[in-house]
Amino acid sequence: MRPRRVIVSQKKLSRRAFLRYALGTGAAAAAGGAGLVALHGVEEVSARSDAPTAQYALIIDTTKCVGCGACVEACNIRNHLPEGQSYIHILSKEDGANEWFLPVQCQHCAEAPCASVCPTRATYRHESGVVLINDKLCVGCKYCEVACPYQARIFDEKRGVADKCWLCLDYVQEGRNPACVDACVLGARLFGRVDDATSEVVQLIESGKAKPLHPEFGTHPGVLRYIIEGE
Amino acid sequence: MGQESWGWLIAVYLYLGGMGAGAFLVAAFFELSGWRYRHAFSPATLVGATVSGPLVGIGSVLLIFDLGAGKMQPWRIFYMFTHFESVMTWGIWILSIFIPLCLLYGLLELVEVEPFLKGLVSSRAPWLMSRVRPIRRWVAMVGSVFAVATAVYTGVLLSAVGPAIPLWSQPLLPFLRVPMLPVLFLVSAVSTGLGLTFDVVATLARPHIHDEIRSMPLIHIILIGLENILIGLLFISALNAGGAAAEGARLVMYGPLSIVFWVGVVLIGLAYPFVVHAYAIGRGRHSLASGIGSGVGLVIAGLLLRYIIVVAGIPAAL
Repeated sequence: MRPRRVIVSQKKLSRRAFLRYALGTGAAAAAGGAGLVALHGVEEVSARSDAPTAQYALIIDTTKCVGCGACVEACNIRNHLPEGQSYIHILSKEDGANEWFLPVQCQHCAEAPCASVCPTRATYRHESGVVLINDKLCVGCKYCEVACPYQARIFDEKRGVADKCWLCLDYVQEGRNPACVDACVLGARLFGRVDDATSEVVQLIESGKAKPLHPEFGTHPGVLRYIIEGE
Repeated sequence: MGQESWGWLIAVYLYLGGMGAGAFLVAAFFELSGWRYRHAFSPATLVGATVSGPLVGIGSVLLIFDLGAGKMQPWRIFYMFTHFESVMTWGIWILSIFIPLCLLYGLLELVEVEPFLKGLVSSRAPWLMSRVRPIRRWVAMVGSVFAVATAVYTGVLLSAVGPAIPLWSQPLLPFLRVPMLPVLFLVSAVSTGLGLTFDVVATLARPHIHDEIRSMPLIHIILIGLENILIGLLFISALNAGGAAAEGARLVMYGPLSIVFWVGVVLIGLAYPFVVHAYAIGRGRHSLASGIGSGVGLVIAGLLLRYIIVVAGIPAAL
């Protein structure tokens, strides 16, 4: 009988020890969780459902854009793009008698379809929210090109890989603007960090003047926002 | 004109994958239903079993030629097996299992009917000869699952891009969340598989096979009728949806693709085979020429249908 009693009492002891461990871990987890929520709360700009989900915001004010293409030119030069290829496309739109321009480029979506359809994971979302392409993994299947509802992706024929706007991540991490933003002399392009509550970009987003483009696509554009007349 | 990232090579791949899967399913059906054994030697199973592997395999090899950097650095193709969220990764896994199964199935058929192979196996591995039929049944069953997966995935590959290409993401029925293309491509795969193996090759090898299998005309009518309805639903749904879907539908129905569609798909691929087999049900038989002709029509139309759908997949307007 003795070994059995020992086993039973060991069970009782381990149950207590288990409870201690559980409560201790639970308390630690709760504290850690509370801490994370507190820290995260500082980064949150607003509770808007279309709030930017990246560290940066690029606002295109179509009420100021005249379609001059300076942004396209600057981008093409910076990225050494061949003739006929651009990361930025300027669409000509008509609203009755009113003609306006819509520059479209990668929206750096939070739920980027290009990243989810890519078979090799060459396209991925960087921690800053910028969607990037690892050209060492890309096989050039063009599934991403087909899957992007903003038609933001191009194909580099020479290297056989997909390519697109990368938000001049090297510039922006240094605190500078992307090339397209600096190129616009009419102030149709605004850029800023989303954690700076005083910045113009944050104000425009908070006020609802700058909105995601085609939110019905369901991809949750992360970085780009548009000011469109009458919206 | 139309969608410009993916072209005819992708259409050929989708087509060969579908037809190969369909051919396998036809052969497997003959095998598992026992019909194969009712006639001393059934060309329909032999053809389906031997041709399905090369069809799907050639389609896949062609696909590699459509890649960019993957062509120049082929080891990157191994990376394509890693991202399970991508339908393309599902496809490469499905095909990696299906193609070897097809080739095995072909061998298991040939070993019974091809004298050299039969002699070789009987003498070197007699224990294998006696187990050929049960192994082949097993391969037919497992392979059928992968055949359906192959045919369906080609449709899911296109419909998965969702809002980017509205024509490809049209639903099966307005109130259903099931996309049309996977269903249409499955029906088309079986139809082209049947057309190739049974109508064309089996009939050439054994002209009376049509008379021996009395329900064949009815099976054809059902498949062709169903495919007809699905294609009609696709374009009606697209026209109703407006935007890029309607633009694609218009391209097909009365734009530059209209001749390819009305003559290549509807006339020779749907109307003509339907009439041939309806006649066969009524009169009890059809002529040899029309049997083969309807098969050729089905086979050609399958490719043209895939091509049309790929090209007419116009991106959503911004």
